[in-house]
Amino acid sequence: MQAGQAVLFWKVLRRGFSLRQSFISLYLLVQVSKRLAIALLTLVIVSFAVFFATELLPGDVAQILLGQAATPEAVAGLREAMGLNEPAFHRFLFWLIGLTHGDLGISYANNMPIAELIHGRLTNSLKLAGVTTLVSVPVSLFLGIGAAMWRNSPFDRMVSVLTISVISVPEFMVATLSVLIFAVWLDWLPALSFGADVGSFSDMLRAYAMPVITLSCVVSAQMIRMTRAAVIETINTPYVEMALLKGASRTRMVLVHALPNALGPIANAVALSLSYLVGGVIIVETIFNYPGVAKLMVDAVSTRDLPLIQSCAMLFCVSYLSLITLADLIAILSNPRLR
Amino acid sequence: MKSDMSIASSSPAPRSKGYSFNIVGRIGLGIILFWLAVAILGPWISPHPPGEIVDWDYFGPMTSKFWLGTDYLGRDMFSRILLGARYTVGISLAAVTIACTIGVILGMIAAVIGGWFDMILSRLLDAINGIPSLLFGLVVVAAVGSSIPVLILTLAANYMPGSYRFARALAVNVNTMDFVTVARARGENTPYLIIREIFPNILGPVLADLGLRFVFIVLVLSGLSFLGLGVQPPNADWGALVRENIGALSFGAPAVIFPSIAIASLTISVNMFIDNLPTKIRDRSE
Amino acid sequence: MSKPTNWTNRDDSMVEDMLRRGASRRDLLKFMMVSGVGAAAGGSILLRAGNALAATPVSGGHIRAAGWSSSTADTLDPAKASNATDYVRCCAFYNRLTFLDEKGIVRMELADKIDTKDAKTWEIKLKSGVEFHDGKTLNADDVVYSLKRHLDKSVGSKAHSIAEQMTEISKVDDLTVKIGLLAANADLPTILALHHFMILADGTTDFTTANGTGPFTCKTFEPGVRSIGVRNENYFKPQKAYLESFEFFAITDNSARINALLSGDIQLAANLNPRSMRMLDGNDSVRASISTSGNYTDLNIRLDQDPGTHFDFVEGMKNLVNRDMIKNSVLRGLGEIANDQPIPPSNRYYNLNLEPRAYDPDKALFHFKKAGLVGTEIPIVTSDAANSAVDMATVIQQAGSEIGMKLKVERVPSDGYWSNYWLKSPIHFGNINPRPTPDILFSLFYMSNAPWNESRYKSDKFDSMVLEARGELNEDKRSTIYWELQEMISKEAGTVIPAWLSNVDGVSSKVEGLRPNPLGGMMGYAFAEYVWLKS
Repeated sequence: MQAGQAVLFWKVLRRGFSLRQSFISLYLLVQVSKRLAIALLTLVIVSFAVFFATELLPGDVAQILLGQAATPEAVAGLREAMGLNEPAFHRFLFWLIGLTHGDLGISYANNMPIAELIHGRLTNSLKLAGVTTLVSVPVSLFLGIGAAMWRNSPFDRMVSVLTISVISVPEFMVATLSVLIFAVWLDWLPALSFGADVGSFSDMLRAYAMPVITLSCVVSAQMIRMTRAAVIETINTPYVEMALLKGASRTRMVLVHALPNALGPIANAVALSLSYLVGGVIIVETIFNYPGVAKLMVDAVSTRDLPLIQSCAMLFCVSYLSLITLADLIAILSNPRLR
Repeated sequence: MKSDMSIASSSPAPRSKGYSFNIVGRIGLGIILFWLAVAILGPWISPHPPGEIVDWDYFGPMTSKFWLGTDYLGRDMFSRILLGARYTVGISLAAVTIACTIGVILGMIAAVIGGWFDMILSRLLDAINGIPSLLFGLVVVAAVGSSIPVLILTLAANYMPGSYRFARALAVNVNTMDFVTVARARGENTPYLIIREIFPNILGPVLADLGLRFVFIVLVLSGLSFLGLGVQPPNADWGALVRENIGALSFGAPAVIFPSIAIASLTISVNMFIDNLPTKIRDRSE
Repeated sequence: MSKPTNWTNRDDSMVEDMLRRGASRRDLLKFMMVSGVGAAAGGSILLRAGNALAATPVSGGHIRAAGWSSSTADTLDPAKASNATDYVRCCAFYNRLTFLDEKGIVRMELADKIDTKDAKTWEIKLKSGVEFHDGKTLNADDVVYSLKRHLDKSVGSKAHSIAEQMTEISKVDDLTVKIGLLAANADLPTILALHHFMILADGTTDFTTANGTGPFTCKTFEPGVRSIGVRNENYFKPQKAYLESFEFFAITDNSARINALLSGDIQLAANLNPRSMRMLDGNDSVRASISTSGNYTDLNIRLDQDPGTHFDFVEGMKNLVNRDMIKNSVLRGLGEIANDQPIPPSNRYYNLNLEPRAYDPDKALFHFKKAGLVGTEIPIVTSDAANSAVDMATVIQQAGSEIGMKLKVERVPSDGYWSNYWLKSPIHFGNINPRPTPDILFSLFYMSNAPWNESRYKSDKFDSMVLEARGELNEDKRSTIYWELQEMISKEAGTVIPAWLSNVDGVSSKVEGLRPNPLGGMMGYAFAEYVWLKS
């Protein structure tokens, strides 16, 4: 099979170290471009799926904008004016063609260019996601690997109970409770994260503290648990057991032998957790009044703003695909036998 | 404490325990069984119907009449939690079982067969993941309406791709191990490889993943009722109980604390149970 | 001043609300006796409430206020304005020809005088020397343009169906506009006070920013995010806005809105849930501003579909609704019991003789039996889209289950509720915003050809009486007709209106000058112009 050939090929190549370097980069290039092509195809499929899903939803943008004032004649008039009488599928194809030129189209709801609507909010979302990643990934990896190394120790049990307890509390409760404690009772932090003029670094720290902590609580648990499970699984392999028998220290054993083999599943768990940070943080955005793309998507769906729904869906999909592609690449690179 | 773990599964001592549970696992199982019993018996043991307003006051304290206080409308919290158990426990267990079973089986098949099958399936599930869950939920309500089976399937569909992705990543790793190569060389067929070689070796992490997914589903359940997909009033699952009484948080009223405790006790015990399953089940068989 | 025990900030606000609506001292003392307050203490409360009404304004400062909903559909186009966020912006950046003061009386804003002889042809004289933010002077062309927009279907105006009666809108001279109506309507000045009839500069089509005559100029407008207004130093009213600037955005989550108010991040939190009032009680840094206007959530039983075709079912449901419980448990006392007709008690045409139906399960059962519907499963469609509708539905469901009626609550998404379920399901909930005149309410919701005839009520007698009253300039005659119309709706229509919902705004105690207004919360959405910050 392919894998077998690759192993053989690998063994041959391993003889020359310099060759190995160029092989890896060549291999990466092929993999990445293959992945890119596939990702593009996935995006097209998703955009069609989103289109049909939106079409299935009752009501259109004219009806929703008119709300309680939507008499049939008023709706007809507005539809006419907004150019909605053209078949939806045509409008969708038109949007898709525009997209290939990098044009995201015009929002139905407020006639603004979608690129303009998304720009500021995406920056906000990425900032929040970035800070959360910086905080939560190292902490999770440390706790996860630590728990696996000292498996069944009090440390392991504590981490395990703590992570489950933390994610067992609904996200909106963590957020509301932290606002109550830190903003209302102690008055240390602002209750809202946006709009307060962020002048200095400490202001920024104060504004981001609660959303980042809330989000870290949500995403860390999965990373910690999965890291622990994956590392334990590799510790149990004969290969690592052999190293242990040969007298390798536990720390060395885990870091040098077990961890590289567990990187694939860990990277996948991290990617899945992080993908949540772009489009799934609606609760944090709502409670801390932080205008990001999750709320934008919710608005778009509730006003049936097709170009905006499509653009947001593409955005989430691109971020998700790039994260998991990255995870897959890490998995492949970390496990020689997979190449 | 640090001498005998890590290699525990392969050293002979723990194996001699066979299928016996340790105490933590037993406690976990006990709590799960308790909630299952409540879920089944709920309607017979709750003192009030779920919608009955028993008190003119709201967010009432714990009293001898209303053991767990009253909610925002003055309804008996004790009854509402007892009656909510069947929704939270039942729906979440069903959904997580379906999601993980399908996800893990597909993941292993994809890993073992590989090639085009793997690629097409993976991209397809990525695409499903690409549809925003809000849109997904609304479309389901619009297309098939709201009922408990629909709710379970929607949850399962939402959580299956993640489970698939994780199981596949694990299985791909195991698939390249020597013992699998050996088995393959022996001429074993794919079902054998999956059932005998791959599955036992990824079971540990897969169960851990299941435990987490269970927690997520318990929590997301209440969110779906706002899309009209969830449990219909006056009934409510535990997450919804927390949500509708969140205003009581600043007074520390029992109405918001007890449903949270109920959720935590269930999710923690499920994970405790999984973490402390007999090593023979949880860990790689020989 | 000391407060009596059991007396909370909320009760203070209730008293203030009553004072403003013109309650007599005797009414108030009666209210306080019911609340368990002695006459002596009551006097001091009245004094305090009176003080709150008469403090001296201070100029300057910046305020941050939060509404409850905002989306990418936020607009600066008054014709399209659809929620509080839009109304707040409109009031800050534009002006109307007229507006309603806190007692519901029409006052002139951009109009100097409105005259008519027959209620059919109207002449509007404009104030002279009013300038738009870009420096252009207001004239009749602007008014004609602004009003005519509502007739153009492609604009998508929410006031289209009300504006349709204006068959002629023309310029007489630079400062005079003539409006001709399809049929006589004595309410035109009140209609012009609707938020949608804000006056724009002639030819305005771009709404990325606002060019109005209003007390603030638009500095920032980001739909779904926030708006910032800066004081218009060139405002035409002698009393310019007190605030130097204000910021408005929305925090959709009720607890988050309150917490932001309590932590001092915002100074005004609009539309708080009654059950969170306990958080404001006993906290001196914040208070509640309560106004009960005409907002209501109603249970609509379509008379043209089963089971509403059995009139006994409708009767039964009206008896099954426990209005006391809805007022006390669902609304936490922040509401008033209603009598199944849409004219609120604060309106001068309110029929005082019409008693709300009592909760009477036995009578309800009698009617249900007569209709042969006991034991049949009957779905009630409800949604979070209509305020408190889900809770009301559970109250009704529970009452039904106690007499053997199988009412089934079907909660559906808020998303698309108004276009998919409202008016369509056989039994469903609606939520109606306050409208300034009985005529608007009758013609929009109860006449046979009404666009939103929630229960499909059809009565020729009703229709002709509405038309008769519309052109009637004699107040007494009009009143008599309106009283009868209210009775007809209450007895014959399929709309069950259990209670008026109070609007509760949370305000920092630093903010002064906020008063309830019949057009809605946040001072009829015009708070920015009138409030000030205590120095």
